[in-house]
Amino acid sequence: MAWRWFHQWGSPRWFYERASRWQAWAGWIAVILLAVGTVWGLAIAPVDYQQGHSYRIIYLHVPVSFLAQALYLAMAIAAAVLLVWRMKLADVAMQSLAIVGFAFCVLALASGAIWGKPTWGTYWVWDARLTSMLILAFLYLGIIGLRSAMLDPNTAGKACAILALVGAINLPIIKYSVEWWNTLHQPASLTLTEKPAMPASMWVPLLINICGYYAAAAYLVFASMRGLVLHRERRAQWVRELVGAHD
Amino acid sequence: MGIEWRIIQREWRLVMARPGEVLKPMWFLLLVISLIPLALSPDSTLLAEIGPAMIWVATLLAILLNMDHLFKDDYSEGVLEQWLFWSRPFAWCVAIKLLTHWLFYILPLILMTPIVGLMLSIEADVIAVLLVTLLVATPALTCFSGLGGALTLGAARSGVLGVLVMLPLFVPVVILAAGVITRTTDGAGVGPLLALLAAFSLGAAILMPLAIAAAIRLNIGGST
Repeated sequence: MAWRWFHQWGSPRWFYERASRWQAWAGWIAVILLAVGTVWGLAIAPVDYQQGHSYRIIYLHVPVSFLAQALYLAMAIAAAVLLVWRMKLADVAMQSLAIVGFAFCVLALASGAIWGKPTWGTYWVWDARLTSMLILAFLYLGIIGLRSAMLDPNTAGKACAILALVGAINLPIIKYSVEWWNTLHQPASLTLTEKPAMPASMWVPLLINICGYYAAAAYLVFASMRGLVLHRERRAQWVRELVGAHD
Repeated sequence: MGIEWRIIQREWRLVMARPGEVLKPMWFLLLVISLIPLALSPDSTLLAEIGPAMIWVATLLAILLNMDHLFKDDYSEGVLEQWLFWSRPFAWCVAIKLLTHWLFYILPLILMTPIVGLMLSIEADVIAVLLVTLLVATPALTCFSGLGGALTLGAARSGVLGVLVMLPLFVPVVILAAGVITRTTDGAGVGPLLALLAAFSLGAAILMPLAIAAAIRLNIGGST
């Protein structure tokens, strides 16, 4: 039973068919949650007594910042799976997670800059969290760049996996050193262990949006993975039948 | 001592055959440092203030400039493949290679610090601290640039890619080293920071040869 489960993940076709269903589920969940969370956050949640309406960008900024980091962790896990079990699908996952993660990272930086202007009076400050997010973006770029430069796709995947793991070990060190270096950013809005400082009418929509963006990220990753699987298996019979190619 | 000694001897003979390769990064460091007063101002108090940071960044780039030499020639000449068949673990050979690289290429670069420090009119005690931070931190930097070189062995245009990939990982080292230097100029204690820096270097020296060895194996396997 366990072996069958393991082998299924090695079959691109099985994954392609399942993933299209998962992608649809993730898409619908994302649409519903984001609609509820965004409308609640932008229109219904109370105005912040200090920042006024400008704080409402939190409903975009915090979820994408969460995801930029979470996707790197997911990518590191995929890297470990690739190196240990040599599962090709993990390579595809890494490739998709790097691109989606980088996109979320850029979104987090951009939304942070837009939020920074009214709040701190400047688009960019060399504050700890901004800086570590910037470095995270560089780490993502490095992985994307390494893959595109390698001549052999198999070697490329494993080289990226080694780099991702070294980066994952380094990331907490980078985070703490940057934090020690400078801190201006407001402390984390939501932590798992403490009661949030915001009233529930503010953090409940935020939580909904965070879940919504997680689902959106899953949707994007599945879409990208399916495309990559099709491309890699483009010579296989089932792909040719699927796209209606004729010899 | 047999095999380790042979790697070191071979490296020494290569250095003697092409001394220009050792001089190039030193030359680069001198050039970059000479540009700073030209771009900024010849005012010595200003130069002394930003000098240590500039020397650090320039040294970092000079080390990265050397990255290609670490494994590229040995890879194309088949030396790395021979190591795979030696009676020592592959990662151990990699570690010895990193050590010789540090001795022959990086150490001369560090010894340039007093000279470029004087050029930027940095005070003697700050130069001493700068030297200590470089000595403690460069093993980690050597290991990271080794990984960059090993990962890009199979890349088409590896030139600047390895540098771009590895630079973000240097952040903790730079922050800690800069912290040591600013604390010295402020007259505060630097023991704990230096210890952290040394810990980072030791950790890198232990873990990175394993990662580098894996990256090299990958490229050797992938090319056959």
